[in-house]
Amino acid sequence: MSEAATTTARSAGLIACTRCCRVFAPGTELCSRCGAPLSSRDARALQRVWAWWFAGLIVYVPANIYPMLITRTLVFSSESTIIGGVIELASHGDIFVALVVFTASILIPVGKFLAIGFLALSIEKRRFMDEHAQHRLHAVVEFIGRWSMIDVFVVAIVTSLVRFDAVATINPGIAAISFALSVAFTMLAAQSFDPRTIWDE
Amino acid sequence: MTEPTGPAEGSLPGDPAPMQVRPARQRWWHRLSPVWLVPLVALVVALGIAWQSYAGRGELITISFQNASGIEAGSTPVKFRDVTIGVVEQVNFGAGLSEVLVSARVAKDVAPFIDKEAEFWVVRPEVSVRGVSGLDTVLSGAFIAGRWDSDSSGARSRFVGLEVPPMLGGIDQKGLMVTLILRDGNQISAGAPILYRGIEVGTVGAPRLSEDGDSVLIDAFIEAPYTERLTTSSRFWDASGFDVSIGTSGVELDVKSLASLIEGGISFDTVISGGAPVNPGDSFMVYPDETAARASIFTSSTDAGLPVSVVFDGSVSGLTVGAEVRFRGLKVGEVTDLGAFVQGEGDERRVRLRANLELRSGRFGLGDKATPEQTMDLLQDLVENSGLRARLSTASILTGGLLVELVELPDAAPASIRMEAEPYPELPTAEAALSDFAATSQGVFERINALPVEELMQSAIDALDSFRALAADPATRQVPQAAVSLLDETRALVTTELQAIAARARGILDQIEQGQAVENLIAAIGRADRAMASVETASADFPAISAEVRSVAEKVDGLAMEQLVASADRLVNSANALIDTEDARRLPAAAADALREVAVFLGQVREGGAIEHANSAISAAEAAADSIRQAAQSLPDLSERMSGLVVSANGVVAGYGERSRFNAELMSVLRDIQAAADAVTALARTIERNPNSLILGR
Repeated sequence: MSEAATTTARSAGLIACTRCCRVFAPGTELCSRCGAPLSSRDARALQRVWAWWFAGLIVYVPANIYPMLITRTLVFSSESTIIGGVIELASHGDIFVALVVFTASILIPVGKFLAIGFLALSIEKRRFMDEHAQHRLHAVVEFIGRWSMIDVFVVAIVTSLVRFDAVATINPGIAAISFALSVAFTMLAAQSFDPRTIWDE
Repeated sequence: MTEPTGPAEGSLPGDPAPMQVRPARQRWWHRLSPVWLVPLVALVVALGIAWQSYAGRGELITISFQNASGIEAGSTPVKFRDVTIGVVEQVNFGAGLSEVLVSARVAKDVAPFIDKEAEFWVVRPEVSVRGVSGLDTVLSGAFIAGRWDSDSSGARSRFVGLEVPPMLGGIDQKGLMVTLILRDGNQISAGAPILYRGIEVGTVGAPRLSEDGDSVLIDAFIEAPYTERLTTSSRFWDASGFDVSIGTSGVELDVKSLASLIEGGISFDTVISGGAPVNPGDSFMVYPDETAARASIFTSSTDAGLPVSVVFDGSVSGLTVGAEVRFRGLKVGEVTDLGAFVQGEGDERRVRLRANLELRSGRFGLGDKATPEQTMDLLQDLVENSGLRARLSTASILTGGLLVELVELPDAAPASIRMEAEPYPELPTAEAALSDFAATSQGVFERINALPVEELMQSAIDALDSFRALAADPATRQVPQAAVSLLDETRALVTTELQAIAARARGILDQIEQGQAVENLIAAIGRADRAMASVETASADFPAISAEVRSVAEKVDGLAMEQLVASADRLVNSANALIDTEDARRLPAAAADALREVAVFLGQVREGGAIEHANSAISAAEAAADSIRQAAQSLPDLSERMSGLVVSANGVVAGYGERSRFNAELMSVLRDIQAAADAVTALARTIERNPNSLILGR
């Protein structure tokens, strides 16, 4: 961290609103502009990050083990997991679709876990990275988190569209719920993160 | 809590308020965020799911198949009573690649019941004449079906799968499993129905060879409510294909259901009452047809066969293996073998025919418990004291089939059973009894066949031809007037008499059909004799006429017109006189009477009961037939003479010219003659083609 760095609200003895960025004198409870509760640093923010992070990680396991889609047709019934689906798509030659699914379902969630874990660790222990870079990383994680839901949306749309009773039915498997939860939990983890702490000494 | 550092004192007016430093006194769990509950719950839930799927994944069983076509790891279900209870996990090969091992996980709650009696087989779509089975597997693919009872005794995990689906029914289906014994398995295939009065009450399994290879065994499953119909007195028979039987009642064609026609089927019925209930696994004989099955009921299974042989001198044509052996009209056995053998030495060597019979001990009145020895004693006694003999007898007049009859002839020459004869004790024989009825009735047929009806017709035709030739004679050319009148007469003769003959002949047939009164037969035959005598007297007149005819013809050559005309007139008068002779007219009527009587006799014979009279009647009929034949033999003579007449007449006509009235008359005469001849010929053909119509009246 360079010494010429920024002045934080806290170092200036002020409390910044995390929502609208206005600063207030210490002791102010609510932001007078946007009404958000004010606190200089949330002592338990990091705990919450870890809690959501673990929750997300736990549900991410069944999301990969159990079938995402249960396809039943007259002829056969198949259950496909995320990885299985990717491999199947790739073996059919749909490399592009396979890559999209792989990115959305594997790369991004795993990347998010790594990123959030890294950020949380660097706050707790020592900094491996420039604060600016960390901040950007956090911003990226927060931005990209919602896109992971693409998978879940696809499953939701497909299952509601393909419903011809006896002829063909697609049902979401346990993995779909797990995956949705996992995405939600990691988003919450990213949100629980207090980016101001990046700048703390 | 770190003490805030104020890097820029002057950035805000006034000194910053000194921060109060409070040491952290809170316990660590007080600082714990409630959000930690989320991963905790997630963990618990995830572990719960994991444990559930581990605990509920069922037992692994391995089934070995020879053929695992259609089985896919991961998707082929295992079904019990059409409910999926597991899925095939792995398909791999057993030791030495000799079998396919299918590993399947079955539901935990079902697994304990899969014990050593469990059976597994692969259900594939099957199209047979009885319908399509396993249609669901066409779309879903094959599945493994299993069945087991509801006792959980020693669950196992290794099974050998069945290669063919077991038949319907099984451990838990109510019904009865019996074993059927067939002579051959040609007609039957697995799954063929078992019918009770045409209703499907069960199915059969796959045929298999018995241990000794002599017969074919089939497991049959009779479904529950129908098992009551099955008793020890039930008989099974092969209902496959169709039956054609030709008997005295005509031809019978019996076709069962189309399925049993192709796939085969077995019917059963309880032929007599009083059967005991059947135990599972009992065996039943399957008879080739219903008649045999029903007949077999008279042959109690405990009835021991008693083989004897009979040596016949004459032909045994008509005797077949399986022919009945009757004793006082009851079936007591059947012919098992027929063969020839050489008897004697040197000059006395001759070929004789031997029939082996199998007699049923129980059929001689000694009761079911009778041993063959007791029966043999009885037979010996009967042969020696009552004159029991074996003889050939007619089973059917129509087919000429024979049977062996055991008759008691008290005045027969003493004989005894040759116990030392090979291969079986030899019963003494008596003269065949088949001549009685069959031979005589056959003789009647033959004689009727031999009646010179055709000759008569031929003679008539010849006569007509002669008329034509007579007309063509150049000598008659000069006597148109006489010839015209002659031809008029002839035409009258032809149109009235010959057609009347035809009409009467038809009348004869009618009378034959309506005939009655057998008792008068002999008298009738006598009348026929007399009629014949009349015919002969009538025929005696012919030479004189023909002599005249001839003399006319001769005179035509040399004499003057007037003489010729006068001669022709005389000729015509004579011919007229002949034709008008009462006897000649009576001839057909008399013959008709005779035929009618014969027909009546035959009708009586057909109806039976007149056999006692038959012999005497037949001899009388023979005499009558002889008379008819003799009488008929004189007819050609008559016609020959008439031929000459006609030849002359023909010559006259031919010489007369083509467009004259005479010619026209002649042509019409000839047409009439032709028509009459045709009518007679048609009658002759009718009789010839269907002689039975004379006798049977249809």
